[in-house]
Amino acid sequence: MNLSIDSVMLVLVVTNLLLLGLSQLRSCVHAVAVQGFALGLLPLLVRQSGPTAWTVMVVLVTIGLKGVVFPRLMLGALRDADVRREKRPAVGYTMSMVVGFIALAGAAWLSSRLPVFAGSPSTLAAPVSFFMIFVGLFIIVSRNHAVNQIVGYLVLENGVYVFGVVLLHELPLLVEMGVLLDAFAAVFVMGVAVYHINSEFDHLEVDQLDMLRG
Amino acid sequence: MTLVPILLWSVLLLPATGAALSLVCPSVRTLLWTVRAGVVLTAAIALGCVWAVHDGSAVETAWSWLRLDALSAYHLAVMMLVFTLSSLYLPGYFGEEAKAGRFPRDRARRFGALWFGALAAMGLVLLSNNIGIMWVGIEATTLVTAFLICIHRTPASLEAMWKYLIICSVGVAFAFMGTLLAGAAAEHLHLEGAQMLLWSNLRENASRLDPALMKVAFLFLLVGYGTKAGLAPMHSWLPDAHSQAPGPVSALFSGFMLNASLYCIMRYLPLVDAATGHNGWGPRLVLLLGLVSIVVAAIFILFQTDLKRLLAYSSVEHMGIIAVGLGLGGPGILAALFHTLNHSLCKPMAFFAAGRLDQMYGTHDTARLSGCMRAAPLWGRALFGSLLAVIGVAPFAVFMSEFMILRAAAHNGAWWTLGIFLVGVGVVFIGVLRQAINIAWGEPVVAPKQEQAGPLDWVLAVAALGALLVLGLWFPESLADMLGRASNIVEGTP
Repeated sequence: MNLSIDSVMLVLVVTNLLLLGLSQLRSCVHAVAVQGFALGLLPLLVRQSGPTAWTVMVVLVTIGLKGVVFPRLMLGALRDADVRREKRPAVGYTMSMVVGFIALAGAAWLSSRLPVFAGSPSTLAAPVSFFMIFVGLFIIVSRNHAVNQIVGYLVLENGVYVFGVVLLHELPLLVEMGVLLDAFAAVFVMGVAVYHINSEFDHLEVDQLDMLRG
Repeated sequence: MTLVPILLWSVLLLPATGAALSLVCPSVRTLLWTVRAGVVLTAAIALGCVWAVHDGSAVETAWSWLRLDALSAYHLAVMMLVFTLSSLYLPGYFGEEAKAGRFPRDRARRFGALWFGALAAMGLVLLSNNIGIMWVGIEATTLVTAFLICIHRTPASLEAMWKYLIICSVGVAFAFMGTLLAGAAAEHLHLEGAQMLLWSNLRENASRLDPALMKVAFLFLLVGYGTKAGLAPMHSWLPDAHSQAPGPVSALFSGFMLNASLYCIMRYLPLVDAATGHNGWGPRLVLLLGLVSIVVAAIFILFQTDLKRLLAYSSVEHMGIIAVGLGLGGPGILAALFHTLNHSLCKPMAFFAAGRLDQMYGTHDTARLSGCMRAAPLWGRALFGSLLAVIGVAPFAVFMSEFMILRAAAHNGAWWTLGIFLVGVGVVFIGVLRQAINIAWGEPVVAPKQEQAGPLDWVLAVAALGALLVLGLWFPESLADMLGRASNIVEGTP
């Protein structure tokens, strides 16, 4: 049981590090799709008592949204905007990787300071979750392309999701569904915003949105 | 007692129905009527709910997932007040927009649906006993109101919307992490499934929550909900969103959306305080954020030349003042809750006036609005009056609640807090007053359009400012009781 959860955790860490080093926007979207897929399996692996109909549904909806629908939305936006890569990231890719490794160590330290969760199925979940939250935030502040910022938001969301599913296995599934629905709505709304920004400004470089100051 | 649960459900379902109806309204006129009727009806029902718990009891329904107690009832009353005022203001504002051809039917339908949607989402925040669903409500508020900012699609409004969306989504994700950590802090209590996230259960077992986890949870919650509440230094979205949104939407943002998020922090305060053994760690953090907000707002207000941004920074200041009151505890909490009402009365009024003056002058640059009291007898005066109320000129009620917070600070011997508070509020006072005098009596720079003010507009302005005057001079006992019961909940005394 633990081995399968830990391999999912490994996939999550690797996709995060990839996201920090990739400049091709399409590859970033693909990486976050893989992450969504791996993440979606977690509820099945966590529950020892065997899958219920609800669990299966949550798994299907999560994989459907995070692995298929969101990436498609973002790929669509990229096609419309006709861009390939992040042009001027605020922090370079090598530097980003270094930040990523430091963050990984920081996350491990932070979770070692917190009390051990009784009956937690994986000791890796807490550090991985904190790591993902940090990487998500870092992508949002260090990348200028609107689609990349959405990717960052998704990584952040995924981090919170890992925490919720693995460490709080008692989390009511209804709340889980509400959260998924919210993530869906958020990405949808961001997608619409990107569409309008693209048609109004003819680009998606967020650092050039600088009319409002002071 | 069987009626009240139905009323609670109606407060949520009526606006949802209104949103659906708005999408099929045949004309702008019927839409504006639908909005007014729907909001006033919801307000009447909400008033019934508030009355049902006026003796300090709490009503629960839907397996305890919905709950109304003194704290949520008080906020529900303030919310309905803001929504009712804003909805009564809509026809005048959008009537002008429609004349200018900027409010076609499709846009009106979208606006109506989002307006009702915002009401339903904020209602959900207040009525949820489940802290997970409360979070869902805040997130829904963010998504619904994002589109209200760019009802008029301009490059600047899209920029404001994007910043709002990204910054608040990140903030709200942090708040969710905090919610989960709070749940984790209760995990060793072995509450069953959904029971774990019920606020009333957490409250009952607050002293047995894991202190380390609860502390981390509160940090996440404070940053997360604090972002949405516009507390500095997480406030950077706020001036942009407030200045670009149409007048009534800015009024709603400042008048209640920020408070809805502060309300969530108020819910967690007694939990973290009891979990940490009442050592004052949680309240101290809130106090610190409040002081930072006051100082940051004061600095930006001093150099502000845009009226709506000025009002937005003033909202940052007032959220800071409320946070300071909450942090001081005891009588400070009561003062903070009173300040919530006062701010929610005067700030929407200021945004109403700014919105209509914007239509007349085509700008909200303070220099170009100068001398507006002569050109706009109603909205010029309303703006001047509400600016005076906002900065806490006596005898407006804002002065009273700020004075009460100062007294609480002196009572606690918190002299640093008192000093910073006084300096910050003093700087804002001078900064805004200087601008207000020029706006009211300065030499006119541009020739504005003719002012359009119906009898309802006069009633609105006189009622809001009059209520602030009355509350400043006379503090009704029933209000004091209500505030006392609500502040007991924040303080954690049964």
